[in-house]
Amino acid sequence: MSRPRLGVVKFASCDGCQLTLLDLEDELLAITDRVDVVEFPEATSARSKGPYDLLLVEGSVSTPEQAEEIVELRRRSAKLVTIGACATAGGIQALRNVAHHDSWRAAVYPEPAWIESLSTATPIAEHVTVDAELRGCPIAPGQLVEFLTATLVGRRPQLPDEAVCLECKRAGRVCVVVASGEPCLGPVTRTGCGALCPAFARGCYACFGPRESANVAGLRRGLVADGMTAAEVDERFAGFTAMAPAFAATASKAAAAYREGTVAEPTTDRVEVDDARR
Amino acid sequence: MTERRDLAASLATTWFGAELSPHARAAFLDLARVADLPPETEMTREGELTTEFGLVLSGRIALRLVVPGRGRTTILTVEPGDVVGWSAVVQPYRATSTAVTVGAVRALLVEAVALRAALRADDALAASLYPRLLETLARRLQGTRLQLLDLFSGQIEGAW
Amino acid sequence: MTPSASMTSTAGSAAITTPSAAEPAFLERHDLDALIGALQAGDRRVIGPTVRDGAVILDEITTAAELPAGVRETQAPGRYRLEEGRKGRTFDFTVGPMSPKRWTFPARVPIGTARREAAGTTFTAATPDAPPLAFLGVRACELAALDVQDRVLLRGPVADQDYAARRRSAIVVAIECTTAASTCFCASMGTGPEVRDGADLVLTETQAGFVVRVGSDRGTRLLEGLPVRPATEAERDEASVGVAEARSAVRANVGVATTGLPVRLEAALDHSRWAEVAERCLTCGNCTLVCPTCFCTSVEQVSDLDGVESTTQRAWDSCFSAGFAAVAGGTFRSRPQDRYRQWLTHKFSTWVEQFGTFGCVGCGRCVTWCPVGIDVREELAVIAPPPRPSLPILSIPAPVPADGAWLRSARILGSHRETSDTVTLTMAWIDAPHPRPGQFVMVGLPSFPAAPISVSRVHDTSIELTIRAAGPATAALTALPTGSEIGLRGPLGRGWPVDRMYGRDVVIVAGGIGLAPLRPLIDTIVDDRLQFGAVRIFLGARTPRDRLFTSELSAWTEAGLLVDETVDRAGADWLGRVGVVTHLFDHSERIPEGTIAAVCGPERMMEATADVLRSRGLTDDRILITLERHMDCGVGLCGHCQLGRFFVCRDGPVFSLAELGDTFGREGR
Repeated sequence: MSRPRLGVVKFASCDGCQLTLLDLEDELLAITDRVDVVEFPEATSARSKGPYDLLLVEGSVSTPEQAEEIVELRRRSAKLVTIGACATAGGIQALRNVAHHDSWRAAVYPEPAWIESLSTATPIAEHVTVDAELRGCPIAPGQLVEFLTATLVGRRPQLPDEAVCLECKRAGRVCVVVASGEPCLGPVTRTGCGALCPAFARGCYACFGPRESANVAGLRRGLVADGMTAAEVDERFAGFTAMAPAFAATASKAAAAYREGTVAEPTTDRVEVDDARR
Repeated sequence: MTERRDLAASLATTWFGAELSPHARAAFLDLARVADLPPETEMTREGELTTEFGLVLSGRIALRLVVPGRGRTTILTVEPGDVVGWSAVVQPYRATSTAVTVGAVRALLVEAVALRAALRADDALAASLYPRLLETLARRLQGTRLQLLDLFSGQIEGAW
Repeated sequence: MTPSASMTSTAGSAAITTPSAAEPAFLERHDLDALIGALQAGDRRVIGPTVRDGAVILDEITTAAELPAGVRETQAPGRYRLEEGRKGRTFDFTVGPMSPKRWTFPARVPIGTARREAAGTTFTAATPDAPPLAFLGVRACELAALDVQDRVLLRGPVADQDYAARRRSAIVVAIECTTAASTCFCASMGTGPEVRDGADLVLTETQAGFVVRVGSDRGTRLLEGLPVRPATEAERDEASVGVAEARSAVRANVGVATTGLPVRLEAALDHSRWAEVAERCLTCGNCTLVCPTCFCTSVEQVSDLDGVESTTQRAWDSCFSAGFAAVAGGTFRSRPQDRYRQWLTHKFSTWVEQFGTFGCVGCGRCVTWCPVGIDVREELAVIAPPPRPSLPILSIPAPVPADGAWLRSARILGSHRETSDTVTLTMAWIDAPHPRPGQFVMVGLPSFPAAPISVSRVHDTSIELTIRAAGPATAALTALPTGSEIGLRGPLGRGWPVDRMYGRDVVIVAGGIGLAPLRPLIDTIVDDRLQFGAVRIFLGARTPRDRLFTSELSAWTEAGLLVDETVDRAGADWLGRVGVVTHLFDHSERIPEGTIAAVCGPERMMEATADVLRSRGLTDDRILITLERHMDCGVGLCGHCQLGRFFVCRDGPVFSLAELGDTFGREGR
């Protein structure tokens, strides 16, 4: 019986999600025993026109060319799965969706006319039907392995849609919001990373994107009550998943404040974790 | 006439007829004729003027809609005691489905134009028949909503 | 453990006397290490309070130096800060985000493995890996929480073996609170601050050390090895005063009016406050995971890439996630307000009917650790203000004892395709009680979550399961060839009360796959036809091709049962009825007095059918339905299938509408 054909392609992205696949090391070997990797830019120069049984797509659609390519790839794929914040939410580059794309282009490149890009960076799902998503920036190795295992075995992948808080509490971490007044987007963010950032006493910045029932308004009110300004709170949402629908309105406010020059003073950088808290 | 008395008795036992006032039942019978329809008789055609309003006494009538690419789908069957051709008394008097007898059917039929004239002229008939018709349609609407919810389909969406 | 030298320096007493079990003893503060040392005997690990990341958490400690000396906290809704406490005090705080539950009911525990080999499939239950522990510094509220979890996990029809092992082996050294946080409300919940029973030793802190009481034989033995002496009257007084101060502090806090609370809450299910709190609530689940009594769990599969070997783990879950109450096709609690209501009403209302006590022990953790500071005391005061005339509490039926054994292998003897998505598997069935009509089994494959499937027919040494492929797990089951092995657990649940139907007319209404759990009932009626009155069966299906068991209809008709069918839509070749199943009743006369109705199908269809049956004169106690919910364990321990005060897997899945009351059909329940 032929092995399933796996392809990994990238659009506008940093390749970090592809690297996560490579970082699987031994598990990667076990996986490549069972699938045919026909395309994977970070790992091989082999290229394929498809068809793919499973296509992992990294990156957001940022150029007119990419907008066409994704449609063609969808046609050639039995299952198409987006990986990472760029592919699932647009990524940090999607911040340009609410900014002045042309003026940025002119400010950055000496010959802006040579740069052909869309004014928006959009998630793959806005262009084609997506069969499943792996969130994260980058995706979590554990979720990737579970996903591939489930696909090979034939069961539904266990990718729970629940708050980061649940994983934080299972791991026995102390809540940075309650115990330190540190802003954290965990309650509105989908878990999958193992509550990584709170393990280092820093609040979650939502790189996995919004969870179901994300109550952004409620969290904003709560953080403001804790002493942050509304502007500081909005800024927290203007990150890697800023343009996910649940966060977009809040992130746009931060972007507007930035443009108008009313951006908030940055909060004290909490890189040092003082001894009393260890 | 015994035949008419029998008809009156039949009408009174039907689901639709039982709730009509005696006056309405009598008025209805004055206008009605008994018809024995063979199987596969088309009583109304979707989109065309409805010529008759009927009350099924025995047998079954299938109401069908045409879906291009799918063919004719039966969306309801009308059973004894129920009505067919309600569009005869509701503007624009065009049939909303194609009604076809499934087996042999015996029904009380009233000519559409005559029924409309009688309803305009006879307030007591109207006062009894329209509410009953409304109940019939309400019941069908509720049934249609449950059918629309497609409760028996359990397939979840998505590749997994 | 030899007594330390300090024993010889006791003031005011000529000789060293060993305190008797009835008299309180005294342990000097500097002898805490002796206590810890005694607890560590036999490689036991001591779990006690210690400071980390800005909070007093629980962790393994080896010396008294690790205890939070001189530390206290202020707690408020959504806020926890450590600050300097009374000098010289070791336990001058209350509770932090963790409770002993973290060790008695760990966040992730393997519960079994499955292995599929050529010779067969084996399912093995995990042996509890319970290293002996000693808890030092357990508060009264936490003791109460351990008792609550004992009721849930040990004293139900099925006991959780892992919990039992951990509980049995643990030593509990309690500390009576001599201070209170603003979020404490143990007094109003009747759980503290005084420690009554549940501990092996009870310590109360004073300026110089601890007054020690024994609470068990194990405590007496422990005490014998400690450098203690009888407590003086002054020391005992100081201890009582400390606890009394804690009590007044707690009493000064906002509390909960518990009298008649379960009934008041049940009567307030439509209160406008639920929607209002839902605007603030983040459904993040923090409250449920800091709560020392919450027991809901989910089951996770960890498998190898070939699906040959898999481990099943049990992990803490929360009813605040949408997926908690999900089944194929949707979730039962889609709105945040449904989930908040579920949590609050479970803790303070339905828990009482299920387990004989409130689920809440007044520790206040949910108030402190809620990121937006929602306070259950405040919410209860608005939603269920103090007493109104009480309504009778319906008693729940005694649950049917369940076969709590782990999944056992069963061989598939045959597979028959019923419709495009439904297959009936015939399974060998030996060494287990015969399933009664309406009971179900949990069916599992290695690497797949187990699914609840109704038994659709019973033979002497085999049973039939009619399974519709609604997701990957059921699709895998329907694809299994004869000779494969699957895992079965059961029979589970409460089935159709056949004895109530003897001598009566019976109406059976089945929609779609709902005919599967009704078929054993029909079989029973056909086998014993004379015992029943007039029996009518109404069947509904999506299209003619989706009708189930069509080959049996003539046998049922021959046995004297009246069968009427309808479909939702059909092609022109179908000569039968088309329309909703409730229309099958349209032209019936009033249904005879004493008729019992058994209904199964999608819930919305059952609601519509119940309405029609009621309009035909049937009373709610004669309308029986069977419900479907998300089930992980099938025996009332994981919490997923909860519906009001019932666990559908254990108290149902068959219920009468009278038992369910307006829980049935209420959105988000």
